[in-house]
Amino acid sequence: MSLLVEVNNVSHVYRKQRSSVETKALDGVELKVHAGDFMAIAGPSGSGKTTLLNLIGGLDYPTSGDIMVDGVYVNKLTPVQLAEFRLRKIGFVFQAYNLIPTLTALENTQYVAFLQGTSKKHRDHDAMSILKDLGLDTLIHRKPAELSGGQQQRVAVARAVLARPKIILADEPTANLDSRTGEDLMDLMHRMNQNLGMTFIFSSHDKMVMDKATTLIKLHDGRITG
Amino acid sequence: MFTFIRIAWRNVVRNPARSLITIGAVAFGLAALIFLKSFVTGADHQMIANYTDLLIGHAQVHKLGFQKDMGLDKSINNPSSLARTLLDIPSIVAWSPRIKDFALISSPESSAGVLLMGIDPVNEKHLSTLHKRVHSGRYLDKGDDDKVVIGRQLAENLRVGLDDKVVVMSQGADGSLSASAFTVAGLLDAGAEEIDKNLALITLNAARDLLVLTGRISEIAIKAASLEEVDETVRALRRAIDPKQFEVLSWKEISPMTYQWMQFDQVFTGLILVIVLLIVSTGILNTVLMSVLERKREFGIMAALGTRPGQIVFLVAVESFILGSAGALAGGLAGWGLSYFFGMRGIDLSALSDALNSFYIGSVIYPKADAASVGLYVGVVLLVSVIVSMIPARRASRLKPVDAIAG
Repeated sequence: MSLLVEVNNVSHVYRKQRSSVETKALDGVELKVHAGDFMAIAGPSGSGKTTLLNLIGGLDYPTSGDIMVDGVYVNKLTPVQLAEFRLRKIGFVFQAYNLIPTLTALENTQYVAFLQGTSKKHRDHDAMSILKDLGLDTLIHRKPAELSGGQQQRVAVARAVLARPKIILADEPTANLDSRTGEDLMDLMHRMNQNLGMTFIFSSHDKMVMDKATTLIKLHDGRITG
Repeated sequence: MFTFIRIAWRNVVRNPARSLITIGAVAFGLAALIFLKSFVTGADHQMIANYTDLLIGHAQVHKLGFQKDMGLDKSINNPSSLARTLLDIPSIVAWSPRIKDFALISSPESSAGVLLMGIDPVNEKHLSTLHKRVHSGRYLDKGDDDKVVIGRQLAENLRVGLDDKVVVMSQGADGSLSASAFTVAGLLDAGAEEIDKNLALITLNAARDLLVLTGRISEIAIKAASLEEVDETVRALRRAIDPKQFEVLSWKEISPMTYQWMQFDQVFTGLILVIVLLIVSTGILNTVLMSVLERKREFGIMAALGTRPGQIVFLVAVESFILGSAGALAGGLAGWGLSYFFGMRGIDLSALSDALNSFYIGSVIYPKADAASVGLYVGVVLLVSVIVSMIPARRASRLKPVDAIAG
């Protein structure tokens, strides 16, 4: 399988505004992710999982080191280029779902595809198809506030998948879900990994999630330990 | 694009109370501005109409240099050929030949310097409203060559009344000193000192005899179909009349102070416009900024998903435009409606009639809304609503996704 993500000696330091206090979130991380991986990054709270996903996804710049995703040095892109990079190559599934509150389930699902310029006809068709697969076809006109946590997270997965990204980054996707809903979601993502060949990297400290992953990376105090 | 417009619309309606307050503030400010402008325009229009109708007309034609240095040596020799030119200009609805000179008017008890005007009573009634300002007695009629109509204050100064004799003395065009006796036929009460205290009207024939001006006149006063047509009428006259011999002056040049007063009104309205725009911009800025700050996380999510900074700016600008256009529409309609209603009914300011009369404004003012001003103000409010949104819009577009999502 081809190399999709390469993290070379990446460190990241958080500096509080108007303060000299520094927190080292990542310390010389090296990581390789291949296309089609279903990878879990595990570690306790504060170990740097979210930071690593944010850096791979181009939501932030590393303090030092290089990150290459699909042949592009993410850390060398301008903010505007980063927006385009995220749009074309990355799908996000956040712990807090992060749907757009004024849009319905169907519109949220289509949002990234809309930004990509996909025609409305194709968006409608693909979104309905994927929402049906996820058992949300009767809820398409509901706004996020009218959906349960599990339903919102499935809409978030649908949004990420519909855009056909190179890689889907899921930050603690099951953290706010009950164990049954969490397991269903992991099975769903695993099916997509298997059927569509999509690459998934998710962070978690949930044992069930780690068990489902085909590759497990352990992170502790900003360093990869296994 | 429609998706962003849809999101913007939903963002506006998701906090209806705040949006309605902002729309209400914009609407109130704009409606007040349009009504104020209509009121000032109506008052100005009345002032100019009353002022020009009373005596000076909308324009005047003189021998070149007469306006600067009034004298009988600058009289028009062949008024009938000039009159034929006037007939060719369709926007001229009335004209009247006049002779003007300074004279001394005396009664047995007193004397005073006056502006002596020789008029054609028939033509003059179509041009000026002086005949409606006769307080007592009557106006001049054709053939009243031994009668004079004078201002009420002048009569008081001379201590004369109706049917009393006065003597008017002046230097004729040939240099001779001439005098004629006239009977006071009427007293004018125009509410303007320059008329009530300083004007004496006699017939054109009487003036020609007194001033030795056979066949000649000093000026032709002209009335256009409307005030709006005055400038075009003056331009047409200037094209038709030899500029080396004659001067054509509009009321703005004859009475620059009145014109400046009108311009002052416009500057005043402009200042109010600026103040209203500041209030409107602050209202919109406050609402949009609050909305952006509240939705920091949402903008972070949108940015994380790949929304370009320009698209976020567009989204915020559309939200602001929706607020601005709703306010502008409501304010425009309310302002126009109020102006129309009071324009038909009038606003009675009788309590201020003395002050208003001194400015040639009647005691009932009829606001006059014009579509161009309403359109301009609505357009400016819309433009301002978009411009002020750039501050919060740029702020939203520059949010770092990771920080914004983390809150």
